[in-house]
Amino acid sequence: MTPTRNLGFVAAAATLLAAAPLSAIFERWTWLIQAAIAVVVVAGAAALSRLARFPLWGQVLAMLTGLLLGLTWIFPGGTELLAFVPTPGTFAHFRDLMGASLQDMRTYGVKVPDVDSLLFLTVLGIGGVAVVVDVLAVGLRRPALAGLPMLAIYSVPVAVYVDSVPATPFVVGACGYLWLLVTDNVDRVRRFGRRFTGEGRDVDVWEASPLAAAGRRLAVVGVALAVALPLAVPGMTGGLMEAVGNGTGDGNGRPGQGGSPGRIDLFAALSGQLNQSEVAEMVKVSTNEPTPFYLRFGVADELRPDGFRVRVPTGRSVNRGLPDPTERTGRAVDQRRYRATVEVKNLNMPLLPVYAEPVKTEDLNNSWLYDPNLQILFSNRENSRGKRYAFDYVRSTYSPALLRGTPSLPADDPVLRQQTVTPAVRAVDRLVAQLVKGKQNDYDKVRAIYDYFSVENGFTYSLSTRGGTSGDDITDFLATKAGFCQQYAAAMAWLVRAAGIPARVAFGFTNGSNSDGGTYVLTNRNLHAWTEVYFGGVGWVPFDATPAASVAGAVRSAWAPDTDAPEESTPLPGSTAAPSGADPSAGANDPDRLDKDADQGLSVGGGDAAQQNPVWPWWLAGVLVLLVLLALPALRRSALRRRRRVRAVAPAASAVATVPGPRGAVRDLTVGVDPERARADAHAAWDELLDTLVDYHVRVDRTETPRATAERLVRETLVEDAGAVTGIRLLGRAEERARYARDPLTGEPLHPALGSVRGALAARADRRTRIMAALLPPSVLLRWRTAVTDRSMGLVATSGRVRDRLLRWNPRRLLAGRVAR
Amino acid sequence: MTQQTWDEVGGLLPHDEFRAASEAIVANIEQVIEGKTATVRLALAVLLAEGHLLIEDVPGVGKTKLAKALARSIDCSVRRIQFTPDLLPSDVTGVSVYNQETHDFEFRPGAVFANLVVGDEINRASPKTQSALLECMEERQVTVDGVTYQLQTPFMVIATQNPIEMEGTYPLPEAQRDRFTARIAMGYPDAGAELAMLDGHGAADPLNGLRPVSDAATVRRLIGHVRQVHVADAVKQYAVDLVTATREANDLRLGASPRATLQLLRTARAVAALEGRDYVLPDDLQALAVPVLAHRIIPTADAQLARRTTDAIVAELVHRLPLPHDRKRSPYDTRPAPNNGRGPYEPRRP
Repeated sequence: MTPTRNLGFVAAAATLLAAAPLSAIFERWTWLIQAAIAVVVVAGAAALSRLARFPLWGQVLAMLTGLLLGLTWIFPGGTELLAFVPTPGTFAHFRDLMGASLQDMRTYGVKVPDVDSLLFLTVLGIGGVAVVVDVLAVGLRRPALAGLPMLAIYSVPVAVYVDSVPATPFVVGACGYLWLLVTDNVDRVRRFGRRFTGEGRDVDVWEASPLAAAGRRLAVVGVALAVALPLAVPGMTGGLMEAVGNGTGDGNGRPGQGGSPGRIDLFAALSGQLNQSEVAEMVKVSTNEPTPFYLRFGVADELRPDGFRVRVPTGRSVNRGLPDPTERTGRAVDQRRYRATVEVKNLNMPLLPVYAEPVKTEDLNNSWLYDPNLQILFSNRENSRGKRYAFDYVRSTYSPALLRGTPSLPADDPVLRQQTVTPAVRAVDRLVAQLVKGKQNDYDKVRAIYDYFSVENGFTYSLSTRGGTSGDDITDFLATKAGFCQQYAAAMAWLVRAAGIPARVAFGFTNGSNSDGGTYVLTNRNLHAWTEVYFGGVGWVPFDATPAASVAGAVRSAWAPDTDAPEESTPLPGSTAAPSGADPSAGANDPDRLDKDADQGLSVGGGDAAQQNPVWPWWLAGVLVLLVLLALPALRRSALRRRRRVRAVAPAASAVATVPGPRGAVRDLTVGVDPERARADAHAAWDELLDTLVDYHVRVDRTETPRATAERLVRETLVEDAGAVTGIRLLGRAEERARYARDPLTGEPLHPALGSVRGALAARADRRTRIMAALLPPSVLLRWRTAVTDRSMGLVATSGRVRDRLLRWNPRRLLAGRVAR
Repeated sequence: MTQQTWDEVGGLLPHDEFRAASEAIVANIEQVIEGKTATVRLALAVLLAEGHLLIEDVPGVGKTKLAKALARSIDCSVRRIQFTPDLLPSDVTGVSVYNQETHDFEFRPGAVFANLVVGDEINRASPKTQSALLECMEERQVTVDGVTYQLQTPFMVIATQNPIEMEGTYPLPEAQRDRFTARIAMGYPDAGAELAMLDGHGAADPLNGLRPVSDAATVRRLIGHVRQVHVADAVKQYAVDLVTATREANDLRLGASPRATLQLLRTARAVAALEGRDYVLPDDLQALAVPVLAHRIIPTADAQLARRTTDAIVAELVHRLPLPHDRKRSPYDTRPAPNNGRGPYEPRRP
């Protein structure tokens, strides 16, 4: 019985381990305690029933009963007997919890708080899995099948997080499963008889049997592969970000539906869409407001060293009522209520574009939630594509005087604390200190920063700059002063935050260039980002720092007027050089040109073209790298040959007499050469000869002496070529003398001999061999292969030694004497 | 007769002098043995390497003739022993006899007291008699009745024998064979040489007309020259490798002795000198491996059953053994890197 009971507890523990991935869903660990209680109850019931020798169905019944009692105790409805015996009221309570859990699943985004309903669902699920695992592993002895219910637990976070789930819980779960398998097999073998250690086959009794060791290794490799492989597949890690960032997607949201809007990189989506050559209609909006401010759908307010990030939004269903902004401000803010209708066409996001701030929505179901802090509409399961809805909104307008009169936020204000977190970047801090110097109130500081982003200060609009909002990117932008809305919005938000005033980046659409009365048709070219600054008692106030002339449908307000307006009335000198020849003053009013030609929309700043580096495709770099890699062996070979040639050429230092050689050739006769030098020369020439032989696929025999090699070549290969025959004999003699004689051969020019032999070999070889010898010399490849083999053998030997040393402390070995076998 | 020490004999001779002296001997012998230049040179090389020569072949191929021709070409003391089954050790080494005039025992030197000893049909004598040669061949001395007598230099035993398959013979014991530096086979002459032999040997034995072209002093000088031939470390290593290979070969029950290594290198020096070189090549060792090593080794029963001769086994070893490199490891060296004598998958034993 003991092994079976042991297996039962391992099954329970494995179930708990397999539940580890749920940690990604819950904010806290309460669920684990409750699930552990349920699993322990189930396992205890199973053990007791087995102790009483129940049949399988009896065991299942006992476990289910145990689970029911456990659930009743953990989630009391108030009508239980003795706190754990359920009554009809308990079941009604459970039904309520189930219903509420369905509702809460829609309401909460991850990570969810400890809500009774969701905890109930979780504990019920894990308890159920524990029952199934126990039945499969202990009752039916099919522990492999028990992996399926465990996988079911894992599928929950996978379904919630579309993009990626952390790997650690998966590994924990996998370990639990493997533990179950191992325990079952050990038990099986133990029943069969004695453990087979593989004794006598170079395996000691204390060592694991080769079979078991192989099994363990396979398991580790399997888990490692399961974790590592997805990381290697592009699109699996942050598939969404990459797909959007490349701008290749048809929309700018995730495919499919559901999921959390918190993981979208809106910046990447923005630049991707703006850079697309095609113009796609995304949203059609009608409003009764005369000149509405931008349509808004997203906010990035979490500033990290690598840039602004989108936070996971939290909120309530839109149908539960939206907060009324009039209550919040309460001061002399001009607020009017308007109504708008939106038809989303090609926007594919878990966010809905609205005008700030919506107070009432129509035609939206409960899965759409409103975050009152971010003032955005989002969903954890639905998607904006094809949505059609209407909403009422309140438009607030502020006067500079009003904003100037707002008090600075107290230091412990949560918004201030949260929204002014700024990584220290020295250049930015210096600039901010310079800009806000002498400014008394928040509004003046913000205006000083806002005004800084003007054409006057050299800022230009360019879509071809690199994306990104990290500290470096901001510094770059402030230095080059060329960028698009993303950089302007992020830079201003960064600077304002650095000045100690809460700021964030908002995303949405400008009013575009295609309007018909109160209806605006917005395309991907109208996507925009701007800055929102928080003023105490007023709320979030939008500022658009991007040069208005370059943005079709830009809107300026009284509190944030167009900084470039004075310039617009008088054409700048540089503007005449604009390729289109259009009047820059008409920039904002010339939407067609801007739509088609966003990059050249503002060339007043000049120097734009110079900053547009040609974009080389990645594959070109790849091809280049490949070519370089392919050329490496040939380069190595020629370097080797050059070095040896230097060796094999008679040294210039010695006295050289030129005498006419046979057939009129001039022979260098060297006198008084240093023997060591001559020896080295002969070795170099011989090495080169061997390499040449390998290159031309002529056999190289290590048992042959130089003389024998030379004679074989004369016999087999170089029969016809008299020059080569003389050359090879000379080389053989020189090497032989260099190796074995007292005095090496001196005064013979080895390099010409080498050349003649090489020529004869090349003439004899076929074309393929010649090409290979030139491009991928086999000698170099062989050398490398030998080196790799040597290294790896050395490594294997070293690791073997290390392993031996480690095995000395192997617990199995230390306990070997005590274990009864 | 007092002998010069090797220092007095001197080192390297001028190239031409060595060549003239050695070529004269070879040419003289070739008057008798036609078409066997390589064999003749090897015989001379053994003489210059201060070794002993065993000529082994079927009857009638000129073994004795080669031995006698070599002996006659050099003007020195030559003795001949015809080994017969009833020959006694004292006939070989000498014996003390009682001299009635002096009333004392007097040593009568045996046949080995000569510069060249030609032992014909050595395997026809009993092992007892064969063993009489052991001391004199290795130590160049004879001890009779407790008195040791030094032999002269050059001292060379040229023995002939029929292959042991022939009847009426006593195979040479191991120790005896090991004392012979080289064993050479005469082989049948080729057609042209045999024809020439018929002409030359038809009327009279050309051996009778052979005149000495050299003398013991010259031979000593030649030996002195050979002793000075340069042997590089790599060549020494190769010699050791070769002999070690015979000891480790699977086909061999007994490998070659350290004495074999020594004699291999000595003979290689002589061969190199005869070829006009003052340094030894691995090629020399390769060429000498079969004559010098093959008669010392004993194949296993399996190899004997497979009818593998020791010559073939040694030739194969030579063919398989890589040359030692005195430089860094060659890239074409496919042997595994040295691993402290321990393979990566060697069984672990705590």
